[in-house]
Amino acid sequence: MSGLIWKDALVMRKTIKFYVIFLLAYFGLAILDIFELTFVISFSTVIIMVMPISCFSFDETAKWDRFCRSLPLEPRTIVGARYLFTLLILLVLAAFSAVCTLLLFLLDIGSVPPIENIGAMLGSLGAGLFIVDVMLPLCYKLGPERARPYLFAVIFIPFIAFFLLMEFGPDLGLSLEFLNRLPEINALGVIALIPLAGLLGLLLSFLISCRIVDRKEF
Amino acid sequence: MKNCLEIQGLCKSFGDFALDHVNLTIPGGTIMGLIGENGAGKTTTIKCILNLLHRDSGTITILGNDNLAGERAAKLEVGVVLDECFFHDTLRPKDLNRILGPIYPTWDNRLFADYLKKFQLPEGKYIKEFSRGMKMKLSLSAALAHRPKLLILDEATAGLDPVVRDEILDEFLNFICDEDHAILISSHITSDLEKAADYITYLHQGRVALSEAKDDILDHYGRVGCSAADLKLIDPSDVLRVRKGSFGCEALVADRGAFHKKYPKLMVDKISLEDIMLFVGKGEDA
Repeated sequence: MSGLIWKDALVMRKTIKFYVIFLLAYFGLAILDIFELTFVISFSTVIIMVMPISCFSFDETAKWDRFCRSLPLEPRTIVGARYLFTLLILLVLAAFSAVCTLLLFLLDIGSVPPIENIGAMLGSLGAGLFIVDVMLPLCYKLGPERARPYLFAVIFIPFIAFFLLMEFGPDLGLSLEFLNRLPEINALGVIALIPLAGLLGLLLSFLISCRIVDRKEF
Repeated sequence: MKNCLEIQGLCKSFGDFALDHVNLTIPGGTIMGLIGENGAGKTTTIKCILNLLHRDSGTITILGNDNLAGERAAKLEVGVVLDECFFHDTLRPKDLNRILGPIYPTWDNRLFADYLKKFQLPEGKYIKEFSRGMKMKLSLSAALAHRPKLLILDEATAGLDPVVRDEILDEFLNFICDEDHAILISSHITSDLEKAADYITYLHQGRVALSEAKDDILDHYGRVGCSAADLKLIDPSDVLRVRKGSFGCEALVADRGAFHKKYPKLMVDKISLEDIMLFVGKGEDA
């Protein structure tokens, strides 16, 4: 499995380098107080979580899947490597966000309290996980090109639906107001449920992807 | 001599095309050439061996392991070179140590480096800068670096110049010096198979039309060139296929010695694998 994770990392090395510079540049802008760190964290997480989907495009161009299935690897291992690579990206992003939050707090930069930055980090990790939960099985099933239009649907439809429901929908008593009434640390605990749900979704997504690859012919 | 690959009654249907009870056996220390027209079922057979396609029925045994029940054990012993290089353009040959090393417990970094050196492949150059010949040599190096016992090649030499093909054929001959090793190679380049193969299996429309030792085929099969009138005098059971043209007729015979004794006035020539393909592909029953 580690060989396949290395493969994804090596194939994406130029993209990874670009994203490292991108993150550092945005962190620089946050230090200069041009952008709020909450924006930098949320924006970069959603952008970078598209990376595992790009791996499918590279594999398709090289026709790697056919060769990969000829290797002594179970479909579960092949799929597992892609999901682990995704989790690694996620961990790096979480670590980057945490370090940035800590540094800005120590340097006393920005008007947003650190607890809000952590909330933004957890929320955006959840959103990023939601994207890969849906997109990875679609990429295995349809291929990256045919799955790509769904990416926009996955990103925008939940936001639009939520907005429409809140603005024009029936009053279901749905409100995030209760978060303001909770102590900060408890509110953070509630927000932490978002990435946790995303992680549970990742497990389900993995099982679906394994089933797709198991049945697939190359 | 142990068999490295045994295929019994392999069937796979796609609706408009089907592999129909394909049988094939490759003993250790030999090279089996798989020939046939485009769409005859060569790649489908290879894909079934590698489990890239799910077969409908039949059994495939690789070095004693069923290719489904013992898939991992079977594939550990197999080196694969398909019709294209499947390594990403943004990789370098030396990156393959990190990718394939953990996949094959028997992967040998030094052996891989030796093959790269032998084939004059720069290990630090990006694959996108490689020619087709270099890419195929890289695929072959990667396929050999984990010391497989069975090498499976699907049109691996197609589109390569004669010098590169000869280099690769030499490597195949080195590989089968070990009696435990065998090669299955599908190719349209029948001259390569005439040089290197020990056995030939000819697939035609999903069925095995011919499967024999290459020397037996080349020593015994023959081509009779004659007029239409002469052809009418030949007992149809003495010829396998015929081709009729405006300048004369040709017939494929299974035993040219016996045929010459029976029809001493007719000339029987030696035949190449390509001629046999043309007889089966374009000819008709006698």
